Amino acid sequence: MRLWPRGLRARLLVAFVLVTVLGAGAASWSSARSASDALVVTTQQRITQTMTDQIRAVTPQLTYPPDQATLDRLRAAVGVNTLVTYENLRAGAGGDTGLVTAALRTAVRGGERLVTQRITARDRPWLLIGTPITVTAPDGTQTPSGIEVYSVHDLSGVEQRIDGLTRSAVVTAALALPLAVLLALLAAGSVLRPVRMLRDTARRLAAGDMDARSAPHGADELAELTVTVNEMAGSLQSSMAALRQMQADARRFAADVSHELRTPLSTLTAVVEVLATTADGMAPDARESARLAITETHRLVRLVEDLMEVSRFDTGTARSHVEEVDVAGAVQDCLRARGWLERVEVAAPGEVRLRVDRRRLDVIVANLVGNALRHGAPPVLVRVAASPGQVRLEVTDGGPGLSEQVLPHVFDRFYKADIARTRTPGSGLGLAIALENARLHGGELTAGNASGGGARFVLWLPRNPEVAS
Amino acid sequence: MKWVCAVAAVLLLAGCGVQSSGVGDSGAAPTGVAPGVTLYFVDRQERLRPQLRETGRLGSIAEAMSLLLTGVGDSDLRTEIAATGTTHVVVTSAPGLVQLMVPVTIDDVTPLGIDQIVCTALGVHVQSGGSRDTEVQVRFIQPTEESDKRRTCPLTG
Repeated sequence: MRLWPRGLRARLLVAFVLVTVLGAGAASWSSARSASDALVVTTQQRITQTMTDQIRAVTPQLTYPPDQATLDRLRAAVGVNTLVTYENLRAGAGGDTGLVTAALRTAVRGGERLVTQRITARDRPWLLIGTPITVTAPDGTQTPSGIEVYSVHDLSGVEQRIDGLTRSAVVTAALALPLAVLLALLAAGSVLRPVRMLRDTARRLAAGDMDARSAPHGADELAELTVTVNEMAGSLQSSMAALRQMQADARRFAADVSHELRTPLSTLTAVVEVLATTADGMAPDARESARLAITETHRLVRLVEDLMEVSRFDTGTARSHVEEVDVAGAVQDCLRARGWLERVEVAAPGEVRLRVDRRRLDVIVANLVGNALRHGAPPVLVRVAASPGQVRLEVTDGGPGLSEQVLPHVFDRFYKADIARTRTPGSGLGLAIALENARLHGGELTAGNASGGGARFVLWLPRNPEVAS
Repeated sequence: MKWVCAVAAVLLLAGCGVQSSGVGDSGAAPTGVAPGVTLYFVDRQERLRPQLRETGRLGSIAEAMSLLLTGVGDSDLRTEIAATGTTHVVVTSAPGLVQLMVPVTIDDVTPLGIDQIVCTALGVHVQSGGSRDTEVQVRFIQPTEESDKRRTCPLTG
């Protein structure tokens, strides 16, 4: 069924046209057929009746048993294309009488009835009539006389009239075609219009326009479907609104918590710094505890700062201070500030100027390189490349790389690849913040594995953030 | 789809032209030949007797009437119709009825003689393919009620 068209409209059209033309064809064919049958039958009856009348008109005057002259008289009375036989005598042989079939002769010879047969010979239809002539006694009993009359009639005229009937039937069926096409188009339109409206509505819903609805027309199945789709969109809209509300509440809570934690943490930090200056004079046990407290407090401070940063991204209040920055220089500065210059190799094509927020770029680079140093293995390589449209910053390490299970969740918040190793120095928010920072610049940050096996993080930053975003 | 097209094509082709047929019955065979004509006379026991005149053909009712009126010839039979100078009989046929205008008066024939005329006429009528239920009206030269009677042959029913 390769020929079967795909579209609903085309399918409806084909089905309509097929059904209509087949129906009209069948009706025309049937009427033409019965008309031609009737035509054949009446013609046959007329010819047979004429022949019977002609024979009956002449038989009382015929001598019996007949001689050749009598047979000739009978043949002349019936007409041309007639053969009259009596025992060994024949009259009118030749012409078309050779078409008389053996079956017809047998039927005439064996019975006392007039018989007919239609045959096709020499590309023409013929009517063959054969009859014995009977002898009737005064009391009505009949006996065969031995005289047989065969007559051949050309039915070409009838066939021509039948052909005319067939032609008009075909024309009638063909006339139904444009009407069927018109009706099919109208029907297809009435069905497809609501379907198309529904499709547009669904498309708008999918694109995020939760107010999209289509008005139902009438009371058919399509109208029911439209109402159902509207209801679905309505419930979807309300659950989306509820979900957004919950999300906003959760974010506000996180923001509030981190904000509330900041003031006590400032105090705690001050206390811890005092503690640090006096730690050297403590007993070894107390000194160990003090150092632990100092480390954990610093970690807590960083966690709260990261949380606040994430909150700012979520609420859309993160601001960037864009300035002209040399990316290669910024990377060097970042590594130098953290004392990683010896452990990290930097490959840059010289000065790469880009308009970015220097602090945020620093956060990204520090996160990526810090991750590589912590979780990967040396050599850690930072490669900076520039093209006319964008700047590409790639961080690779020589470690085992990211596993299939980890890769999709690398940028998730608080995601720890190694569940057993929960006490890592990072907050679990680093990569999430790096990704948000990249997006704030209209760029993108992707995670993957280098062909050598280590993890590879690639940062793209557009040269023209306004256009890119 | 293919079989739909095939069926449609077969149907269309089947509707075209005059179809051939086998040998079929189309009615009764014509009749009318006979070796002679049957005339009815009366025997010694006053009964109607058929007599075959071997004329070689059946002929018409009028011819049979002429032969009947001409007489019996040399035979054991006799006729109950008085001899007349003319033997010409006018025959008219209507559906279910044969009218004979005989050149005799009611006094020239006995009831048996009328039966001779009726039976001879009906015999020829039936032999030439006519219906056996046909009645005969014998009209005489002079007005008489007998002329209006519709008669059938007592021998053939």
